[in-house]
Amino acid sequence: MGDDKKDKKKGFGLGKNLKEFVYGMAAHDTARFALKTRGSMEHLFILITMGDMLGIPILPPYYSLRLLPYVVPQISTWKRRMLREKDFTDTLA
Amino acid sequence: MNSVVLPVLGAVVYIVGMRVYASYIDRKVIGADPKRATPARMYADGVDFMPTSRSILFGYQFKSIAGAAPVLGPIIAIKWGWLPGLVWILLGTFFIGWVQDYTSAMVSVRNDGKTFGGISFSFISPRARTILMTFIYLYLLLIAAAFTNIVANALANAPRIPLAIAMLGVAGVIVGYLIYHGRMHLAVVTVIGLALFYVALVLNGQFDLKFGSAHTNWLVWVVFALVFSLFGSLLPIWSFVQPINYLSFYIVLIGMAIAVLGLVVKHPAMQRPMLTGFTVGNMPLWPMLFVTIACGAISGWHGIVSSTGTSRQLRSETDARPVAAGAMFMEMILALIALAIVGITAAGTTGSPDQLFASGLGSIFGFLHLPEKWGLAYGPVLIAILAITILHLVVRFMRIAANELMGRVLPVMRVPAIGTVVALILTFVLVITGTFNYIWVLFGSANQLMASLALMIGSIWLVSEKKKAGFALVPMVFMYITTMAAIILTCKQLLQQAFTGLSLAGQKLPAGQVAGNWIAGTIGVVLFVAALVLAYDGVGALLRFRRAETTEKGVA
Repeated sequence: MGDDKKDKKKGFGLGKNLKEFVYGMAAHDTARFALKTRGSMEHLFILITMGDMLGIPILPPYYSLRLLPYVVPQISTWKRRMLREKDFTDTLA
Repeated sequence: MNSVVLPVLGAVVYIVGMRVYASYIDRKVIGADPKRATPARMYADGVDFMPTSRSILFGYQFKSIAGAAPVLGPIIAIKWGWLPGLVWILLGTFFIGWVQDYTSAMVSVRNDGKTFGGISFSFISPRARTILMTFIYLYLLLIAAAFTNIVANALANAPRIPLAIAMLGVAGVIVGYLIYHGRMHLAVVTVIGLALFYVALVLNGQFDLKFGSAHTNWLVWVVFALVFSLFGSLLPIWSFVQPINYLSFYIVLIGMAIAVLGLVVKHPAMQRPMLTGFTVGNMPLWPMLFVTIACGAISGWHGIVSSTGTSRQLRSETDARPVAAGAMFMEMILALIALAIVGITAAGTTGSPDQLFASGLGSIFGFLHLPEKWGLAYGPVLIAILAITILHLVVRFMRIAANELMGRVLPVMRVPAIGTVVALILTFVLVITGTFNYIWVLFGSANQLMASLALMIGSIWLVSEKKKAGFALVPMVFMYITTMAAIILTCKQLLQQAFTGLSLAGQKLPAGQVAGNWIAGTIGVVLFVAALVLAYDGVGALLRFRRAETTEKGVA
């Protein structure tokens, strides 16, 4: 609800909605796929460096510890994404 | 009747459906709560789960569900006359279509953004998930076969457009490169891509692009469509599929805008008969109309989109109604526009769906004082583009599905090229041996069965949550019975022809067509058995939750 109010302040109702609608049709899936691709690469990187958090030690802990500060913000979403139940319908939309 | 009445009726149903029926279900039955955290908010990972604006999601949902099927279904169904199609599109959307899309989204939202696979595993049975996944693979195969046929027919029947469709592929690669490597402004890149496409269309307008006899020519375009899909499946998605689909959006938008403008300006009368009969050829109105027009009234594909993409991006539960239900009502209007375009063609006009659409669009171009031949060329262009942009994505999905379903048993299926080639070979065999009408009906049946299974999952969830389930349960029963009847009828005809080697009219069939009837008939039987097992497990789950509810009341 709060977001709706903010949105109204930011733009003019109908024009903004129309613009977003066209963006949604034309390019939103492209942006989503780009984010998914980047996300997959990052998650793979974290798996290699921090795999021991999930019981898969790949990199010697020294290097993992050096990288840890950079990875901390993503650890919770990474774990959930790695362990979440997936099937091929995930790729359909 | 005036053709503009169709979209106007659609607008009325849109307003009443959204404001009254959908609003009531959303508030009183489901109890959408703007304060409850959605999966997009809870798990915002910037990848799958992302709170997104309602208007963007509405556009995304509409684009994802509105492909070739809502345009082609009403065109194919015109053989029964325009009235049955009109009634089914309006009532189907009002009572069933939006219910499925909206419920699918809400089930997923209330279950941590799980897909149908995960939900069916936890709500129905472990085997339900495996059967559902196999079912979806066959469904994708039927989409691929139906749409390959559509593309090949459009290109073979309109020899002045294939160069433009091929150029669309080239333009897509160029656009992808310029966006991601050239870092050019999107608007400039879009103009370049569209210019390439339209120049090729004008160039091809000067000569016919044909190869040999009619059959050879058709075969060439079948292979072309499959090779196009091969690239779509194997190349990185940003370099081929996405830029092509992006450019296609504008090409289709221009065509549809002209069509709507023409209908509004001239508002011609419907020329086609209102009702031609309750049985046309070997296709009775019930149940065949209800699987011929799938998208536009109700479609299983929508449930998959709602439960995977949309449910993970909803910022608020109250957005589910305008996004999922709203996009369905919008698609209904698109289907009505397609019905109006084909309805204004002369009563005796026959041909494949692309020819009928081209004929209607040609007349509309004439109404706007544009050369009619432009419309005759643009019609098949739209049909080919709507079909091919789905086709290459579907083959890509089939490759991924083959990996997941068979990768453990047959490790070779994990190789992307192998999964793709298997998908393409299966599609090719089905296309060259099958009969388009049967393939379309089987595709529609698989689609509608998927929809009834989505409604079943929704109903089971509603019962498990102790909510009123009638609004989803009754449409589910109707769709399930209707679709199973359509599959039985289709399989009976296909297998009868396969066993006897004779057509329904008693003529001897060529060996290839007999083989095609065997293949299509077998796919139909597998779909039927899979749907039976899922229904058996589904009813079991429904009774289990119902009993649990009764016991709780007894204890209380």
